[in-house]
Parts: sequence; C-alpha cells; structure tokens
Amino acid sequence: MTKVIRRKNQIIIPSSQLYLAKVDDFVEGKLRKLKLDKNQLADLAISVTEAVNNAIVHGNKKDPEKKVTLRLICDKSCICIEVEDEGKGFDLNSLPCPITEENLLKEVGRGIFIVRSLMDKVDFIFKPEGGTIVRLTKYLKNKE
Amino acid sequence: MKLTTREDKGIVILEPKGKIMGGPDATLLHDKLHEFISQGKKKVVIDLAKVDWMNSTGLGILISGLTTMRNNGGELKLANVTEKIQSLLTITKLITVFETFESVDQAVGSFN
Repeated sequence: MTKVIRRKNQIIIPSSQLYLAKVDDFVEGKLRKLKLDKNQLADLAISVTEAVNNAIVHGNKKDPEKKVTLRLICDKSCICIEVEDEGKGFDLNSLPCPITEENLLKEVGRGIFIVRSLMDKVDFIFKPEGGTIVRLTKYLKNKE
Repeated sequence: MKLTTREDKGIVILEPKGKIMGGPDATLLHDKLHEFISQGKKKVVIDLAKVDWMNSTGLGILISGLTTMRNNGGELKLANVTEKIQSLLTITKLITVFETFESVDQAVGSFN
C-alpha cells in the first residue's frame, strides 16, 4: 500500500512514520470544527500520534504491505478515535512502567502511559483474526 | 517542525518550532543534537517557546540529548517550557530529570 486514503471520518495510511503528520493534519482539521479548547485539542492530537506511531512500529512492524486505519466518531458528549493495525497484538500486562527509577531515562516506552494520562478512557481490542484496535475516548466538557 | 540554531556565549541554543511527533521531524532534532556533540559543543539549551506540543518521541529525543551530553561532560537545559509540555514532563516524572528555566537568558546564565 503506498497511497493515503481519506474518507469523511476515516484516514488509511501505509505503515510508515512519514505519514504521521498527514494523520495529525486530518484529525486536527476535523476536531477544530468542534471548537474544542486548546488543551483538549492537544491531548487528542498527542494521543492520536502515539497510537498511530505504535500501530506503525509495534503493530505492523513498518511492513509496507500493512495499513493503519483511523476512524473518528463524535457525538455531543464525547470524541472517540479508533486506530487499527494489522499486527499480532501484545500483552498489556507486560508493559514496563516508565516512571520507575530504572526506566526513567529510557528513550522509549512512554506512549501508552501518556495516552492513558491524557484520555478519559482507552480501550484495547485484540481481534481474534489478527489486528488491534486502540479506542481513545475524550468526554466533552459542558460549555455552560 | 522547523529547527533553527544559534550560539550565545559559547552555548548552543536550539529553537524547534511546531509539533515534535516522530518521523523526519524528530530525526532532524536528534541528528542536530548529536552533530553538536561530535563538534565538542556540550552546553545546549533547547528553547521550547514555539513548540505547540510533543509526544513520547519528542520526550525520548530530549532524554537522548540529555544523557549523551552528560556522558560527555556536558549538559542540556530546557527554557520556555510551555504549559502542555510542562504537564507531560510532570506526568512522566521527567521534570525531576531536566533543569528548566523561564527564559533562554536564565538558562544560558546558569552554565556560568
């Protein structure tokens, strides 16, 4: 796969970090229409790049034949973003804690920790036929 | 992300602008930091005033720069840390690792 496919609320990219900025542009473009505050927008943008980067690097192992699909689902109460890869999944319990002393100076391993800190809810769906969906949920603040 | 560099009193000042999220942008910052180390320039300030946000890749680059500088007898300091990046440094406890300053001048002055 070499092309980026854009649909109304979906973008599909090849498994290369070269496309991270395109995903960010797509998501921020959609989210700006919702008039989120600057912090919410940044939290979502950071989390999306973490999830997409993980899908490319750890999920699809940068295999150019595999794709990463991002879906955006919004309603009045929340924003939900799904990032799907075609990888074999992973063991959530095996992730090292990045804030322990022995891991503090490691250059990698903070992505999911940061996503969980910034999002209101994070779900991992490991599909039996292969592929992982990471579902990021941010509840919208009442603007009264 | 765009990256400019300058020097003040022998201290290298890096000024990234935009978002640091991985991919070619991140490689640019990483390579620049290591280029200075190879030139024997080991006192570096990263001015984060114009960085909208960074993700864990950006934090990893800062750590890589910091540890490489320290291993070579130098130091990497952060200036103008925005609220969003401050929050990420706090969440990840990296705030305990980096020296941060409210301005580039303060950061540069701290090397003396």
